[in-house]
Amino acid sequence: MTPTADAAGQRIDHRHPLPVRIWHWANAAAILVLIASGFLIFDIHPSLYWGDDGHAGLPALASLTSPNLDQPKPTIELQIGRWRHDVTGVIGTVVDEGDSGKYLLVAAPPDDWEFGATRGWHFLSAWIVGLSVPPYLVYLVASRRLARRLLPTRTELGPRSVARELWQHLRLRRARGEAAARYNVLQKLAYLGVLFVLLPVAVLSGLTMSHAITAEFPGLFTLFDGRQSARTIHFLAALLLSVFLATHLFQVCVAGFRNLMRSMITGRFVVDTREHP
Amino acid sequence: MSHPLTRRTVLGGLASSGLLLGACGRLDNATPFRQLLALSDRFTLSAERLVLAKRPLVRELSAAEISAVFPTNGTTKPRGDAYARHLDTGFRDWRLRVHGLVERPLGLSLEELRALPSRSQITMHSCDEGWSAVGRWAGVPLARVLDLAGLRPGARFVVFHCMDRVEQDGNYYYESIDLFDAFHPQTILAYGMNGRPLPVGYGAPLRLRVETQIGYKNAKYVERIEVVDSLGAIGKGRGGWWEDFDHAVWFAGQ
Repeated sequence: MTPTADAAGQRIDHRHPLPVRIWHWANAAAILVLIASGFLIFDIHPSLYWGDDGHAGLPALASLTSPNLDQPKPTIELQIGRWRHDVTGVIGTVVDEGDSGKYLLVAAPPDDWEFGATRGWHFLSAWIVGLSVPPYLVYLVASRRLARRLLPTRTELGPRSVARELWQHLRLRRARGEAAARYNVLQKLAYLGVLFVLLPVAVLSGLTMSHAITAEFPGLFTLFDGRQSARTIHFLAALLLSVFLATHLFQVCVAGFRNLMRSMITGRFVVDTREHP
Repeated sequence: MSHPLTRRTVLGGLASSGLLLGACGRLDNATPFRQLLALSDRFTLSAERLVLAKRPLVRELSAAEISAVFPTNGTTKPRGDAYARHLDTGFRDWRLRVHGLVERPLGLSLEELRALPSRSQITMHSCDEGWSAVGRWAGVPLARVLDLAGLRPGARFVVFHCMDRVEQDGNYYYESIDLFDAFHPQTILAYGMNGRPLPVGYGAPLRLRVETQIGYKNAKYVERIEVVDSLGAIGKGRGGWWEDFDHAVWFAGQ
């Protein structure tokens, strides 16, 4: 059933049902806290490893290290695989923790920063995501929203269609008319990727870092090939989620901030039926 | 002395029925945010108590997986004459005191601890900073020591008082766990690491290994074990040095 347009050619679609809006905002807040607190946790040991053994002095997949941390003016080196680059003065800062030694951080946190409390925030928001994602995925399937709004059609997935959409995006052309009422193919793939890949991987790799959880579910170690690999994958998932978040916010601004925000708050989305796609 | 298995079963039942909730003792409830975090921590604790209801063992690794280098963290050598004397005399006069809500307060020498049934395990140590390393730990199960002392009614937490003062505020390091973790078969008082006596940097002569939780719960340089009914009277009441100083989560199984 499609609502009819008014005299000015405007039609109001009920774009987002209540469960979608609640899930969206709860997870938006939680993911922001997760990314911020996650960065601060990563900050204190900015090195990524594979397997179970991973600490200072071991070869890392990627790291921010200082070869002369004890010197008065330590230099800072960014390493990714075999690539090394001196980034002194660009990235990283050294803090002196007395008996606990010197720490190289990516960025200095505020003076009253409490590392312990940061972990508390991370787990609080992890509960919101961890407990709401599985039922939401079930809801998307059961309500047929997955099939109706999110799954791309075969035509949409064709190379010509994807290339055209990519070109539209690069030129920052927003969708018009009836085309704006639907998700475009890149949007669909991004949402599917976040919902069915990034968030589940982030939650599972996070759980793999827990000694208590892995005692009962040792299969998680097999799935991620160890605790440090899980941490590395957790970091990559967070990085991709951050990229998604930035793109998502940018797209909302490009494609009509007021209309899109209204639709995610009240559910109502205005389609201008006289616009030609 | 009661039969350990019986006690374990009883404790397991108690814990999974949620009676050990609210285990964080007195909390700093100054702001709504703190209350929210405290609520979240209690929720995490009860959820993980459910996950651990069947008392699974954490993964044990093979000798080939032991880290060639194992980082030291926190205090690497306690300051002061008392510890220096212990080092000079090979901890000959050192005693582990066990007191509080126990039937028989104890003062155990290192020799006496070594004479008790021991357990050796190769496990992964994970720091809340993010790194992890694998080591072989040898020691006496904490359950054995608690059984020797005999718990009195009302006992709920085991507090570990350490010999090292932490530089930030000059207070002695301390940590605490509940009876659920205290009676976990892999929770040991370790006096050996990688086949040698526990080195100074890793907590000589005795440290806690609580394998279901992460780094800072594994107190080093333990010299006194106090059994209590509440953490309220210990330090600022949050159950550990990091918990008091930095609002670290008390239950660190996550």
